[in-house]
Amino acid sequence: MIVLQANNLSKRYPGSQIKAVTDFFLEVRKGEILALLGESGCGKTTVLRMISGFEIPDTGELHIDGKLISANGFFTEPEKRGVGIVFQDYALFPHKTVAENVGFGLFRLDKTQKQGRISEVLELTGLTGFEKRYPHQLSGGQRQRVALARALAPNPGLILFDEPFSNIDTVLKNQIREDIREIINKSGTTAIFVTHDTKDVLAIADRAVVMKDGKTLQIDTPGNLYSKPANRYVAAFFGKTNFITAKPVKNGFEATIGFIAAENAACLDKPVLTLSIRPESFQIVEPNNSAAIKGRILSQKFFGEYTELIVEVLSSEKPENITVHLKPGHQHPGAECWFEVDEVGISILGI
Amino acid sequence: MLKRLRIISSDLRSSWVLLLLVATLIISIPLLIILGGFFSEGGEIWNHILKNLVPAYVINTFLLMLGVAALTFILGVSTSWVVTMYRFPARRFFEWALILPIALPAYISGFTWAGILDYTSPVYVFLRNNFGIDTGQYLFFDVLSLPGAIIIFSLALYPYVYLITRAYFLKQSKVLFEVTASLGLGPWQSFRRVALPMARPAIVAGISLALMEVLNDYGLVRYFGVDTFTTGIFNAWFAFGNLNAAIKLSVYLMVFVLALILLERYQRGNMRFDMGIGSGQINAKSLSSRQSVSAIIILSIPFLLGFLLPFIMMLYWATLVFDDVLTTAFWNLLRNSFVLASLAAVTVVVFAVFIAYTVRTYPQRFVIMAARFSTLGYALPGAVVAIGILVAFLWLEGQMAALSGPGIRIALLGTWFALIYAYLVRFMAIGYNSIESGNERVSVNLDQASRSLGASKLKTLLSVNLPLIKGSVLAAALLVFIDVLKELPLTLILRPFSFDTLAIKAFEYASDERLAEAAPAAVIIVLTGFIPVYLLNKMMGRGNI
Repeated sequence: MIVLQANNLSKRYPGSQIKAVTDFFLEVRKGEILALLGESGCGKTTVLRMISGFEIPDTGELHIDGKLISANGFFTEPEKRGVGIVFQDYALFPHKTVAENVGFGLFRLDKTQKQGRISEVLELTGLTGFEKRYPHQLSGGQRQRVALARALAPNPGLILFDEPFSNIDTVLKNQIREDIREIINKSGTTAIFVTHDTKDVLAIADRAVVMKDGKTLQIDTPGNLYSKPANRYVAAFFGKTNFITAKPVKNGFEATIGFIAAENAACLDKPVLTLSIRPESFQIVEPNNSAAIKGRILSQKFFGEYTELIVEVLSSEKPENITVHLKPGHQHPGAECWFEVDEVGISILGI
Repeated sequence: MLKRLRIISSDLRSSWVLLLLVATLIISIPLLIILGGFFSEGGEIWNHILKNLVPAYVINTFLLMLGVAALTFILGVSTSWVVTMYRFPARRFFEWALILPIALPAYISGFTWAGILDYTSPVYVFLRNNFGIDTGQYLFFDVLSLPGAIIIFSLALYPYVYLITRAYFLKQSKVLFEVTASLGLGPWQSFRRVALPMARPAIVAGISLALMEVLNDYGLVRYFGVDTFTTGIFNAWFAFGNLNAAIKLSVYLMVFVLALILLERYQRGNMRFDMGIGSGQINAKSLSSRQSVSAIIILSIPFLLGFLLPFIMMLYWATLVFDDVLTTAFWNLLRNSFVLASLAAVTVVVFAVFIAYTVRTYPQRFVIMAARFSTLGYALPGAVVAIGILVAFLWLEGQMAALSGPGIRIALLGTWFALIYAYLVRFMAIGYNSIESGNERVSVNLDQASRSLGASKLKTLLSVNLPLIKGSVLAAALLVFIDVLKELPLTLILRPFSFDTLAIKAFEYASDERLAEAAPAAVIIVLTGFIPVYLLNKMMGRGNI
């Protein structure tokens, strides 16, 4: 079931020359956790604000649960959308207790129902016992859970998070990501969150929209965004990679760094293309193998679970360096080795 | 253009924005009427006034402004500099004591000083009998004159310059003075060549505020016999009964106001001085005991003359007439004033909260402009606001009379409604600025969180926004209350028949040379005036000015 459908959303802020968001399309399924990912100014927060109703799109339509909530000349007020929001600064009402904050959106329930729902949500978020505290008496993580409890209380079909992990200590981040993912899944709601950190996406998102300058670059699962990036920007955004120019031939690519074996490469009907090869896709092989990439190790850096090598490719026509990640071993700067590429780590970039 | 219109029209569908535009229109009617008066025909009486009186008004107003500007500059800048840059005994005391003269409205200070320097005053009698000092009807010099008015105005209004300039000096980087010292500049040179030019925008802003008060004043110039535009407006309306001439004079007065505002804007220009890095608080320099004595003497002059002496004199007078004045009539007067001021305060706050919240919810440029427009009344002298409302209500009464048929007259003028409306126009800025600064400290996300949880705009305003800014709301109400309590020209023109306020009664007694009887009302006005002084001092301590 589709919870949110966005068709062709665009927004330009008054006084600005460029559009903050251009031609934005999205469908979010029930129960999904979707990330809007990009650098600051990419338009991800504007999308969030258009969904919540605090920004009016210039063009396009928005549907929630199949109901039109925004179109040219038609606009549903934020309070009538049933969309919960967890703000980056949590935006807890400082003059209300935890219970009052959580109960704020439950004004349609009678007193007993309201009490019951408050306890239920507080239990779900692990805040039982904090009912009477005021926001300033809570830690940052607790405040975030109150904000989440408050947004969940009226049972919204969709819940939006604005940069939920940016205010949290790195040490606690993993735990909090897990907690939030669990709470969302338990509550059965659908979530969209905005982030600039690929780690957030890889950790908890089911799918992510990568945005740049208001445009959508790719919508895919975290795994595919990493291993099958659509273009250079996405490839680089998700970690270190090598961009290699190559010509598809039978059984592989005639690349600048040497021959790379790949099945079906010949099916590509482009004369020249760019490959993104993740550093961990390279392996050192014996020189007598069919592998054709020869290099000299220029430097090495130890990162714990892997070692990063900068390798000067000797088999290429022009001088070219590649980055290679290997299990810590006995490679030394100056050594010459032969490399092979695992086909799975290769992605063909559009532009 | 079309697109912008489309955006505006889509916002107009919100009843909040529509209501805001209506409120702004209502509040700006007097201003629009006076501006319209620029093009109207003056008539014969106006020609007479223009030829025979206006030149004197122009000269007097100009000289008053010049004199007050110079004197408030000297008093305000010197006191703020000494208090900020030096450490000496009683410095803490002077920091706030120097604000106190602002609690004394100029007209009250004026007639009190006239009393102190009068031939029969205890001070003069004492000096005459013991030292043989006799300088004629007034001690030292004829205080009821243009120079006298300049001095009284400056003593009452220099705190504007003091407050703003001091806030500015406090923000200066201490590194700056270490730099000037390292470049070989002495303290006086650092002050004259660096601190003073840097503080210029602040100083001019303070002087402009003081001069606005001068242009607004009626009581002091009338009592001192200095003919200006405000006294001219009163004469035109009350003596000649000529509204046209009053409008024309209001237009002239507005030219001065406008010139003042433009001058202030112009000098500020694009100046936005960087306070410099490492802007730690200035290390005040300790003064030797001899230097401390001279600092204390310098600071005592404005405090004694601007506040303590006249206040003591007032208290003394009040004790003389205590039994005669504190009758039922006085309590009625007190109740009248307080009820009127409270009503005005509530009205202004309701409008201000509504407008500020609408701007917060719809922060589009035209909404912000409309809100700003509704605060312009503060630049209008009270007499001008009153004349604008007079014109509007006379016309409205005429229209309603025509509609309702003969025999029935619906009165608007001379009612509390007219007065409250006038205060709304005049003091909207005070209420609005206070509420807006309160709003600025509350994240808009709180409003949005409330709306996302299903609360309407009204519910959000009442249960989220309002509880969080209640301090600012209270401050706004208090400031308006106090301003209404001491307001004179506007109230004099628009008050209901035989309706008195504390300010009017004090002024009338003083005008009849019954200074002692004026004192109790004056003392109450001054005492309530302490509240904003307290608030200002507190805000300054937090560096919020």
